[in-house]
Amino acid sequence: MEMTLLIGLDAASYILTLLLVCIGLVIIFGMMNVINLAHGEFFLLGAYTVVLLQQYALPFAVILLAAFAFVALIGLIIEEIVIRRIYHRFLDTILATWGISLALKQLVIVLFGPGSQQAVAPFAEPLEMFGITYSSYRLFVMGMAIMITAATFLILFRTRWGLTARGVIANRQMASCLGVNTRRVDRVTFAFGSGLAGLAGAIMAPLMSVDPQMGVGFLVPAFLSVLVGGTASPLGALWGAGIIGGSNSVVAAIWTPVIAQIAVFSLAIVVIRLMPNGVTGRRRR
Amino acid sequence: MLNVRDLKAGYIRGAPVLKGLDLDLERGDCIALMGRNGMGKTTFVKALMGVLPQISGSIRFLDQELVDLAPYKISNAGIAYVPQGREIFPDFTVEQNLEMGRIGKPKQRNESFDFIYEYFPILAERQKQLGGTMSGGQQQQLAIARALVGRPDLLLLDEPSEGIQPSIVQELAAILRRIVEQEKMTVIVVEQNLNLVRRLAHHVRFIENGIIKSGVAVDEVNKNPAIISRYLSV
Repeated sequence: MEMTLLIGLDAASYILTLLLVCIGLVIIFGMMNVINLAHGEFFLLGAYTVVLLQQYALPFAVILLAAFAFVALIGLIIEEIVIRRIYHRFLDTILATWGISLALKQLVIVLFGPGSQQAVAPFAEPLEMFGITYSSYRLFVMGMAIMITAATFLILFRTRWGLTARGVIANRQMASCLGVNTRRVDRVTFAFGSGLAGLAGAIMAPLMSVDPQMGVGFLVPAFLSVLVGGTASPLGALWGAGIIGGSNSVVAAIWTPVIAQIAVFSLAIVVIRLMPNGVTGRRRR
Repeated sequence: MLNVRDLKAGYIRGAPVLKGLDLDLERGDCIALMGRNGMGKTTFVKALMGVLPQISGSIRFLDQELVDLAPYKISNAGIAYVPQGREIFPDFTVEQNLEMGRIGKPKQRNESFDFIYEYFPILAERQKQLGGTMSGGQQQQLAIARALVGRPDLLLLDEPSEGIQPSIVQELAAILRRIVEQEKMTVIVVEQNLNLVRRLAHHVRFIENGIIKSGVAVDEVNKNPAIISRYLSV
């Protein structure tokens, strides 16, 4: 009984962590169609913001907000300098964002060194419930993932800004002919997606070893989640993270992480083969 | 109100579709632009809207030069565009589609849609329906309504009768007539459907090889079908 509960909690934790990383990608890759290989580095920058600001003993909430704002600003700059020239140039996007990814990573190595740093969790007491003990910070991460996802969907589907962004993404030329400044929408949307990646990195930092390679580990499953979930609707990420994260952690708990990886990739191949536009995707007209 | 001089525009550098076009409109004019396929009708309205990659010459509109302005600025200057094929947002509700028409316009942002619903009662009934699930005629009404939400001075209509059954075209023409009169709007309508042109426009201008030729009053078209065959039949 405790074993199942523990596996269930671990699975939920991994799914929600994945969702946290995905949600920025949903906006940049899913909605804006930019394959951003530097997404992992945005995550990384968020984590390093925590390492840096914890030296000044700031409250954790302030640090999280700062990480969001700082990485959003980085995203804004990168959009203005690079991304805006390569919308709709798929292959060039991969090359350019990979370049950005390398540059950011090297910059972090220059500033902080190649070694791993430590971010401290603001609270760490294990929590006891239903006969098991579980890390309270992990529970906090899960709660944050749910909150951030809900907030993002509220912004996208219940605000004027969200409607504008979705309108621009659905029909850019028509939106501009209706008076919408599409450049400004692109800028803000990309910055928002970047900021979410930074926020995810900041929240995850105390659970991981903060080193220049930490972004890569989440990049692949996050892209896979968005693909499996489908890009037709931002809601696809919920499905994707559930399928990828759930299968991975359950199989890893029962067998080994290696078999889990094999199972997850096989499952992803099957899903994408049967539903090329993802679980939520509709057939193109 | 609108003065177009020596407008050259097109899609590829060195191959202009419009070849030095001139046109003058006064406030309240309502002209139909007719011509055979490929003569530049759609290209002309797109040039006015600022969405063409290649453009030179001059477009003066209400004391503002529009050439080289971004489409959203042209829209905010007071020109609204109902494109060929309607291009409504299929996944948005009727209400959200209308919202898109005013979202980029600080002045209209908090106006109500009531005056729109008065012209188009069907849209009032279907506020929560997805645009993509409506019939062609209803989608056309939605596209026109979306353009009106921004309170334009000049309305550009590109083939509003396309893909709509004849009885609905008549109804659409009647609604447009009412709007033009009540809102004192200036209109350029690109159209092949004489039925709609007769009901809506005061003047017909013909476009040939990227240049607008002298026009005639719409009554003249009724009396003298030879004009139509000169410019329209193949």
